[in-house]
Amino acid sequence: MIRDRLLRLARTENAGLVAILLIAVVALTVANPAFLTSFNLYVVLTSVSLWTCVALAQMTTLATGQMSLSVGSLGGLVAIVVGGLCELWGVPLPLAIIAGLAVGLAGGLLNGALIATSGINSFIITLATFSAFHGLTLGLTRAIPFYHMPDALKALGNARFGAVPFMLGIVLVVALAVHIIFTRTRIGRHMLAYGGNPTAAVLSGLSTKRAVIFAHALSGLLSAIAAILTVGRLQIAQPTIGEDWLIVSFAAPIIGGASLSGGHVSVPGTLLALALLAVINDALVLLGVDPFWVQVVLGCLILAVVGANRLREGRRLGEAVAR
Amino acid sequence: MSAVVEIRGASKSFVGVQALDDVSLDLAGGEIHALLGENGAGKSTLIKIITGVYVPDSGTMRLDGAPVSFRAPREAINAGIGAVHQERNLVPMFSVAENICLDRLPTSRGLVDRAAIMADAEQWMKAIGLALDPHTPVRSLSVAQMQLVEIAKALSLRSRVLLLDEPTASITPHEAERLFEVLRDLRARGVAMLFVSHRLEEVLALCDRVTVLRDGRNTAVGQPIAGVGRRDLIRLMIGRDEEAAAPARPLRDRGAPSLELQGVATAASHRDIDLKLHAGEILGLYGLVGCGRSELAKAIIGAIPVTGGEIRVAGKPAKIGSVSQALARYRIGYVSEDRKGEGVVLDQAITTNIAVTVWARLARGWLRFLSAAREYAAVKPFAERLQIRAPSLAVLVGKLSGGNQQKVSVAKWLLAGTEILIMDEPTVGIDVGTKAALHRLIRELADDGKSILLISSDMPEIVAVADRIVVMNAFRIVGMIENSHSYPDMSATIMHVIHGVADVELTTAPLTEALVSSS
Repeated sequence: MIRDRLLRLARTENAGLVAILLIAVVALTVANPAFLTSFNLYVVLTSVSLWTCVALAQMTTLATGQMSLSVGSLGGLVAIVVGGLCELWGVPLPLAIIAGLAVGLAGGLLNGALIATSGINSFIITLATFSAFHGLTLGLTRAIPFYHMPDALKALGNARFGAVPFMLGIVLVVALAVHIIFTRTRIGRHMLAYGGNPTAAVLSGLSTKRAVIFAHALSGLLSAIAAILTVGRLQIAQPTIGEDWLIVSFAAPIIGGASLSGGHVSVPGTLLALALLAVINDALVLLGVDPFWVQVVLGCLILAVVGANRLREGRRLGEAVAR
Repeated sequence: MSAVVEIRGASKSFVGVQALDDVSLDLAGGEIHALLGENGAGKSTLIKIITGVYVPDSGTMRLDGAPVSFRAPREAINAGIGAVHQERNLVPMFSVAENICLDRLPTSRGLVDRAAIMADAEQWMKAIGLALDPHTPVRSLSVAQMQLVEIAKALSLRSRVLLLDEPTASITPHEAERLFEVLRDLRARGVAMLFVSHRLEEVLALCDRVTVLRDGRNTAVGQPIAGVGRRDLIRLMIGRDEEAAAPARPLRDRGAPSLELQGVATAASHRDIDLKLHAGEILGLYGLVGCGRSELAKAIIGAIPVTGGEIRVAGKPAKIGSVSQALARYRIGYVSEDRKGEGVVLDQAITTNIAVTVWARLARGWLRFLSAAREYAAVKPFAERLQIRAPSLAVLVGKLSGGNQQKVSVAKWLLAGTEILIMDEPTVGIDVGTKAALHRLIRELADDGKSILLISSDMPEIVAVADRIVVMNAFRIVGMIENSHSYPDMSATIMHVIHGVADVELTTAPLTEALVSSS
C-alpha cells in the first residue's frame, strides 16, 4: 500500500527534480552547515522569489510553442516607468505599480498581436521588440537609474519573516494563478492545445490568434511583476534590470519539464527548478567558487536535464508500445 | 429528400493547381453519401470548403436552402457541421477525453470541469467501442486508436452534418463494422453524412448515394448506389477499367528460410514467436489493431529489443541491435506504416529520399563529397523500375501522391540492396489504381527472389497478394494458413483463427489446393 503510493510518487513528473533538490540540500548542509542558517535560507528564497515571475513569463510563451526574447527588456522598461513615475512625477506608489503592470501588459499584447496577425515567428518578432524596448529604456533614462524609490516599495522587496521573504508570498500567489490558468481554464487549455498541435486547434475551431495573444499578454504582465519586485529588492530603478533574465527564463521552465515544441508546461516543475538553481548558486558561493562558473554550471545543468527528459520520453514510448 | 448541404459550381485553385473545378454536391438528411476519387482528385479540398478551412474561389454553398459562406472552422462547427479530417486532429499531450471535448470544454464557476469532460467523452467512446481509460494521453495510443478518438470527437459534436475523410484508413474491419453500426444509427436519426473511403466494399455496403471526383471535376453527382457495381465506381474514378487481379503465383520450392524466428520474445511483450520467411515468398501478417504486428516488425529490425528466442538470417543466428545494422549487415529493410512520419522526408527531393540509405557508399574523397550526379545515376534505375510518376527526380516528395510517395519509400530500400523487405500497411490511403500497381510491384520483387513480409489490416489485400498468411493475436502467432486466394474462404478462416471459434490447425489448406485455385 505505502510501497504502491511511493512507487506512484516516484513516477510523477517532478519526482526526479525533488530528489535532486533534496540531495543537493543534504549534501550542501553536510559540506557547509552555514547553508541552514536563517539568513542563508533567506538569500536562497529571495533569489527564488525574484526569478519566479521571470521564468513564468517565458513559460507562458513556451506553452504555445513560441518564445519571447523580450521578457527581459520589457522588464527593464517597466522598471524605469515605475521608478520614473515615483521619482520624477511623485505619482503615488499604487498608481505607479498599476502603470507598470499596464506597460508590461501592453508590451506583451503588442508582441502577441504582431505574431498572430503577421504570421512571422515569435523569435523574429520578439527579437525586434527586445531591441525596441531596450532602446526605449535607455533613451528615456539616458542610462541613468532612478535612485529615490518610495519606502513602501523598498519594504516590499526587503521585508522578511525569519527566513521567508515577503515577496515569496506574492510570487506563490501569482504562480498558483498561472498554474490554475494552464490546468483549469479554457484559455489555458487552448494555449496548450495550440502549442501541442496547431492544426488540431485550428480544425477544432479554436481561436488560435486569441491563444497566442493571450499567452504573450500574460507573459508581459509577469515580466512587469518581476520587474517591480526587482526594483523593490534593489531599491533602485536601474535601466539594466532584465538584461540577465534571458537564460534563466528559458532554463527554469525547461528544467521544470516544459516541452520546447509547446503543449506542455509545469508551474510546480518550474518552481522546483528555480529552487534547484538557487541552491546550486548558493552552494558555489558558500564553497567559494568564482561566480562566473555559475554560468557554466547552469549551461551543463540545462543539457543534463533535457537529456534526462529525452531518456524518460523514450522509455515512456517503449512502455506505450509494449502496453 | 431535401438537401441539407448543397454545393453548386465550387472551384478552388492553389498556386497554379486547379484543385476543384465547377464541382457540385448535395447531401441530404438521413443518408450516407459516398465521396469517391483517386488521391488528388479533390475530395479533401471539397471537405475543407464545407468545413470552412478553405474559402472557395467561386461557387455557392447552401445550408438548409439558405446561402452560407464559412470563413473559419468555428463557423462551420457552430452551424452543426462536424468532420473527421485526414490530418491528425489531436493534441498529443492531452487526454483522450479532453481531445474529444476540446472545442467546448465544459466549465463550472469559470474552471474546466474535468469530471464533466470524462463523462461526456466516455459516452462517445462507448458508442464506438473504444475501450480505453479516458485519462490516457493521446500520444501513447496506436494510430488506429487515435483514428477512433477522432471519430468519437466528430460524433460528439452532435452535428447534423458529418464529414468523414477516410475514417477507416487505419482501423480493422472489426472496428470499421462497429463504426458503420453507429453511422447507420445516425442515418436513422436524420444526420447527413459524407463518407470518403478507398475501400469500395465498404462504400457499396454502407452508402446510399455516391458523388465521384476525377481531377477536380464531377464524374457523378448523387447517383444512387443501388445498381452501381464496383467496376462502375472504378470507371468513374479512374476513367478506365481496373486491371484484372493477378492470378495466384505459382508455388515454388521454398528452400531454406531467409529469415527465421524461433521462440522470439520482445520488450513489447511478444511471446513464442515462430516464423519462417523464404526467398521469393510473400508472407502476409494479419491481425487486429494492437495485436503487435508493427511492433514485431520493429523488433526484427532492431528498433525494439528482442528479449528471448533466436532470429536467424540466411541460416545464421543474427543479433540485430539497430536499424542501420539490420540494413547494413542483414539486408533487412522496413517500409513504415507511417509513411509521412517515418517513411519519407516530405520537403526533400526524390533523389535525396531514395539515396539517403546509400550516402555512405556514394560519398567520395577526403571531405566525403556527395555529388548530385552520382546520386541521380544511382537513383534513376530504381525510380524507373518502380514507375515513380513525377516531372523530374528533383521534385519534392511532399508534392507526390500517396502512392508515389510509397514507391519512393520502397525504392530507397531496394537501392540499399535489401533482400528481406518488411512492408507495413503499404497501401493505406492509396487509391485503387496505384494500389494495384503496388501489389504488382510486391509480386515482382518476390519473383526477383526478395523475401517479403507484408503486414496489412486490409484483408482483401492480404488474400490477393500473400502466399501464406500468419495470423497474430495478442502478441502471439495464432495460426498460419496457406492462401487459397479465395476471399470468402480465407476471410472466414482468418476470423476463425483470431477469435478461436474453431481450433484451426496450422496450415489448413493442402498445398495442392493452393496450387490449383486462383482468385
